[in-house]
Amino acid sequence: MEIKTAVRQFIAENVLLGIHQTTIEDTTPLVSGGLIDSIGMIGLVNFLETRFKVEFVPREIDVHSLNTLDQIDELIRKKLASQGTGAAGSSQQTR
Amino acid sequence: MPYAPAIVEQDRVGEDRVTSFRELFEQAASLAVRFVEHGIQKQDRIALVLPKTTDAIVSIFASLLAGAVYVPIHPRWPRERIETTLADCAARLVIEGDENSPLRITDRKTRASIPWTAALANPADTAVANSLPRADAGDPALILFTSGSTGRPKGVVLSHRAVSAFVKWSAREFQISSRDRIACPSPLSFDLSTFDIFNMALCGAACVLVPGHSVWMPRFLVQFVRKARITCWYSVPSILAGMLEEGRMAQDDYLGLRVILFAGEVFRAQDVARLQAAVPQAVCANLYGPTETNVVTWYRVPQGFDGSQPLPIGQPCPYATVTTDATSGELLAGGDSLMSGYWNRPEDTQRAFVNVEGKRYYRTGDRVSRAPDGNYLFLGRLDRQVKRRGFRIELGEIETVLAGREDILEAAAVAVDDAKMGAVIVAFVRTRSAGAVSLIEAKAHCARTLPLYMVPDHIVFLDAIPKGSRGKIDYIALSRIAETLDQAMPNQSSPKHAATNHAANDAAPNNVAPNNAAPNNVAPDNGDQDRSPAVHR
Repeated sequence: MEIKTAVRQFIAENVLLGIHQTTIEDTTPLVSGGLIDSIGMIGLVNFLETRFKVEFVPREIDVHSLNTLDQIDELIRKKLASQGTGAAGSSQQTR
Repeated sequence: MPYAPAIVEQDRVGEDRVTSFRELFEQAASLAVRFVEHGIQKQDRIALVLPKTTDAIVSIFASLLAGAVYVPIHPRWPRERIETTLADCAARLVIEGDENSPLRITDRKTRASIPWTAALANPADTAVANSLPRADAGDPALILFTSGSTGRPKGVVLSHRAVSAFVKWSAREFQISSRDRIACPSPLSFDLSTFDIFNMALCGAACVLVPGHSVWMPRFLVQFVRKARITCWYSVPSILAGMLEEGRMAQDDYLGLRVILFAGEVFRAQDVARLQAAVPQAVCANLYGPTETNVVTWYRVPQGFDGSQPLPIGQPCPYATVTTDATSGELLAGGDSLMSGYWNRPEDTQRAFVNVEGKRYYRTGDRVSRAPDGNYLFLGRLDRQVKRRGFRIELGEIETVLAGREDILEAAAVAVDDAKMGAVIVAFVRTRSAGAVSLIEAKAHCARTLPLYMVPDHIVFLDAIPKGSRGKIDYIALSRIAETLDQAMPNQSSPKHAATNHAANDAAPNNVAPNNAAPNNVAPDNGDQDRSPAVHR
């Protein structure tokens, strides 16, 4: 699965009013660039948890560590890898 | 008592860092002594550009012990806004630092620094404290910067008398004691935090700092309240609503929670009813008052409140006097909790106050009515100020910032009510040429100057901003367009919109549909620049 594509799509639909022709680069700052704020972050985290079956702990939801597609991609990959080794049992409920 | 916990802070791995009253006093007094030795005078401003940490609370008490004025500035504000604010209040010292950089105290004029951790020669005692200057009740204690309609934040100056009027009343009314654990969920730059910090000091309660990253994550917040054994909670309604909605607060037990206070924005009556049902043993109260007056009226939610009627803002606190302007219905608030004025803005200060029968009142800008039982009801604003998650926003400030960008010729901002988000801000801009500014560029421009909560949710590019017959921006027409956009949004974080704008769909032109809301194609293509796209009567 292509993490960046999914996140790009989510942001285009939820943040950019469906304006797909506006490009979000892998390094476009999402938070410090004003695209996502605290509430938007809740939506994004919910989306990531549901879509990729991962679970976040509070410390990871620092707006500055989820600031770009690159960072999100890296974090999700790391989480999936640790789940693959059975480190995290996903008992997460989806809404 | 001296060893009882004063401040509880979670460190990065989730362990509690507890600071006792004795440690708090020693650290604050020793820092205050260093301030005075450095030459800090009474009423000098000490800016705290700090996250909400134990060190920040120590800095607050140190500033006050030195007779100085603390100016809390949110460290996540854009650098430019921080610098403007530091210059505006002419801060003598700046205290900065976060988890990634150590604390530093800098004199803004000389660039000299004061060490944060200077070992105490002698443990601070009452003799040390007595040698420090003592502020008078009327002296300023803190300055809180809030959105200003002309594009520059305004500093609200609050005296020791103003803060203590509210804190002492709340301590009495809600019977705060050393057995309490008061959460501190608000940023220090928000007046709600005075309840948490100063009730700790006044009543010997523990002040438990809510980690900044948890505040908007309802799931974690709900766990936090339970684990930290919070007994008193005071926040904006949005945070509580999030806990009810996303945190499944109703399914858990919060037997320790005995006081829940909220202020800063309208709390939907049905959510209040749900909150009371979820935490039936707690006293819930709606506190009302702008930053300029702190809390002036309050309403205790009656048992069995069913949420079918809006929640009143209630009746005046004992230290406050409240009246209304007979013509406009504007609430006027006076009494001990009133601000001294806006920092360095005599004209704004003069405009903010009005004299009624020889007494000074602050014009709240809030329209109210009075129910037969004497309770005040909030009806709406007289101006263009909006509340978003309790944060106060002047739409004019957003417009000024947008219009300040190259290639943006004109900007207008409106707010749309949204059940979940409180208010969604939609900005309309006219650019020099189609595509001259991209949406991302426009948002990034806002984020460089405005705090994140002020960055518009949506920015719509128009060929012409709708104007009325006198050339004034037609905000009503813009609001209709904004409502249509907001309703059509597939926003994950706000699945349902309360806004039932029947008029919106027929009022807005059919070419404002969100799926073709690409830059510069939303205006009517009839070339009539003066005509509002929303007015097809």
